[in-house]
Amino acid sequence: MNRTLERILPKVQKPARYTGGEYNAVVKDKDRVDTRFALCFPDTYEIGMSNLGCRILYGLMNEQEGLWCERVYAPWGDMEAEMRKEGILLYGLESGDPIADFDIIGFSLGYEMAYTNVLNMLDLAGLPLRAADRKDLAPLVVAGGTCCYNPEPLAPFVDFFVLGEGEEVTLEYIELYKKARDEEWTKAELLREAAKIPGIYVPSLYDVTYNVDGTVAAITPLDGVPATVTKRVVEDMTQSYFPAKTIIPSTEIVHDRVMLELFRGCIRGCRFCQAGYAYRPVRCRDAKKLGELGREACLDSGYQEITLSSLSSTDYPGLVDLCDDLLDFCQPRNISLSLPSMRADTFSMNLMERLQKVRKGGLTFAPEAGTQRLRDAINKNLKEEDLLQSVRTAFSGGWNGVKLYFMLGLPTETDEDVLGIADLARKVYFAWKECAPNKARGVRITVSTSWFVPKPHTAFQWEAQIPVEEYQRRVNLLRDALKRDKSITYNWHDPETSYMEAIFSRGDRRLADVLEWAWEHGAKFDSWSEYFDFQRWMDALAACGLDGDFYAHRVREKDEVFPWSVPSVGVSREFLWRERELCYASQTTPDCRTRCSGCGANKFLEGGVCNG
Amino acid sequence: MAEHRLLFSKSGRARYISHLDLMRTFQRAFFRAGIPIKHTEGFNPHAFVSIALPLSVGYSSECELLEFGLLDGVREEEVPARMNAALPEGIVIHECYKALRPIKALTHLNYIITFDYETGVPDGAETALKELLSRESLVVTKKSKKAKSGFTEVDLIPLIKSWTVEGRRDTLVADVVLAAQNPGLNPELIRAAFCEEFPQFAPGFVSFHRRETLDGDGKVFR
Ligand code: SF4
Repeated sequence: MNRTLERILPKVQKPARYTGGEYNAVVKDKDRVDTRFALCFPDTYEIGMSNLGCRILYGLMNEQEGLWCERVYAPWGDMEAEMRKEGILLYGLESGDPIADFDIIGFSLGYEMAYTNVLNMLDLAGLPLRAADRKDLAPLVVAGGTCCYNPEPLAPFVDFFVLGEGEEVTLEYIELYKKARDEEWTKAELLREAAKIPGIYVPSLYDVTYNVDGTVAAITPLDGVPATVTKRVVEDMTQSYFPAKTIIPSTEIVHDRVMLELFRGCIRGCRFCQAGYAYRPVRCRDAKKLGELGREACLDSGYQEITLSSLSSTDYPGLVDLCDDLLDFCQPRNISLSLPSMRADTFSMNLMERLQKVRKGGLTFAPEAGTQRLRDAINKNLKEEDLLQSVRTAFSGGWNGVKLYFMLGLPTETDEDVLGIADLARKVYFAWKECAPNKARGVRITVSTSWFVPKPHTAFQWEAQIPVEEYQRRVNLLRDALKRDKSITYNWHDPETSYMEAIFSRGDRRLADVLEWAWEHGAKFDSWSEYFDFQRWMDALAACGLDGDFYAHRVREKDEVFPWSVPSVGVSREFLWRERELCYASQTTPDCRTRCSGCGANKFLEGGVCNG
Repeated sequence: MAEHRLLFSKSGRARYISHLDLMRTFQRAFFRAGIPIKHTEGFNPHAFVSIALPLSVGYSSECELLEFGLLDGVREEEVPARMNAALPEGIVIHECYKALRPIKALTHLNYIITFDYETGVPDGAETALKELLSRESLVVTKKSKKAKSGFTEVDLIPLIKSWTVEGRRDTLVADVVLAAQNPGLNPELIRAAFCEEFPQFAPGFVSFHRRETLDGDGKVFR
């Protein structure tokens, strides 16, 4: 280990985050490696290590001979200060070598508030922030993850974005890079060739012009690159790589357990949900295979908990059978099973018994809206009676805490809908009174609301986020309505972060200057209240002559050219518009198993039929 | 419950694993190695492991002791190799054996404290350190969770059983035997006292290595 590092580690909080050397971390012989990849997650070790996508790519890349993928996380402020003071450049955890000397630096972008960390990490690596200032072929700076469906605010900093699932395309662009390196191409030549790989979006090869009102006038592809770049998907989940053998951290992380990915995509089609549209179509992993993977992962990791992960785990067709299969293995070993994403209408007695056998934690449901009318409008096909039935089941089974999540400011929301949240919470309380076998322990019902952020590639991509005063008024309305209910706790998100998310999630390239200005003035870790400074962002927007409300609070015209017009998730704009109109008519769309609504995502599958 | 002990070392990258994290790491490692060990009783049973005398984060050691209960079916001599395959880099098991003496008989610890001077040991530093350790008494204030003020006073000298100091070109190496428990002495306090008394000789960096566990007679404790 580097001597300077040895000196600073005793001075910082939780130094085990900065050392590597964990069980299953991959250390390769440098003499037998010709390509080095830095897989960067722009947040802390604890959060980055909990990301399943990164674990998949790490395992997959390190299976390749000659390729060595290492992990890099954002150092916390105390570590950053020490690194800058001692002149330590950002390094890969496995080797300790500076990533500036690597071939490729790949960022995983899951949320907009991590963008300043991307800039900060490039700077800590000793690299110029802007792609145009990095003239050499290496290190190539790329990014993947959900944010890449509108990566425009980061466009000037990143050489190319990788859209969709990375299992196949990652190895394809690494091959191309190797060819470019061996044949001594210029960076421009490499980028032009990369743009030919499906799923790769090279932002510098598109020219963006603006109208006087600030909207995008046109996005013009240069050098014959495609006008739209469609995401990549893995067709066969059962055959696809799964990291059953994966790094087990020596210090605690957020999701410190086996994560078993049941399926990708979601059949539901909630109109606000970007993941629901962006990960279409549904592709399930075979239940037998999942059982094998779960057992293998437990035995290799020593973890005592398996979580069954997906966008909506109770929609997995063989869930009860899978639980039984796993329980045969888990129970004798005191391993617990958990389901993080449960739909409130499918929480059955059957399932409850299986989960409770090993552990009984709190239950979380997300009805999202307080009235049936609004739930229909957002296509959250959840009936009040089903939710109440689920909580009755849970309360009868001895659960005594329920968390309910809602959004305020959804399109078409009225005060009646807001007050409906209070009514629903009260009905949940009465369900407890009616069913709880032991009332002496009391009940905890928590209602949480967030401020709705319209996302690109959803039915609500045209919508305005409601003004902050209006959000605050609705929070107060609900707070007053719940004032007298002693068993119901109400929490609401502070609006400032949601406003910034609303700006960046549908932002354009001009916001790159705002990011850079904010970073220059100290912005980083903006998803952490310790670091987030709203005034700094207001100053950044003002300094760059941009209006945040233009991005957050403006209704878009039906055929406006969106900044995110090049990336495609494979769902047609016409379908999304239709979904928006159905919202205004408070009409639902059936889930993909009941009936196909023709979104367009079927074209990703051989035969063109979704069979999730 | 704790009929067995593991003797292990902790070095390199593993030095930064905290005491609590290390216990968790061992619980998982036993499971990964397929070595069944005793569990605690009660509502939420978990694998029982206990590490004697927590080592400060950043220190290295070649004499850590972990107590646990090996269940039937695994021979003691296969444990080290199987565990080593399941542990993170820097944690190495040397021995697995039946515990014969209680941990309370472990009264002293031998540490090597290395004072690092990048530009060479300054003249007088070695003498100063020797002078400090030769005093009749050396009272320092240290943080305390129990005391109301948050601080208590301790005299280090009665807790130092023996010492030698050797000056090299750019390091001063103190080989010390310190009280291990009730109360024990963390060698960090020796560094702090030295830097406070002789700020002109404050080293660039100090590293701590735990070399041996000893009993009251100065014999190796296992
Ligand atoms: S094509 Fe039809 S079934 Fe497939 S994801 Fe779209 S709406 Fe659902």
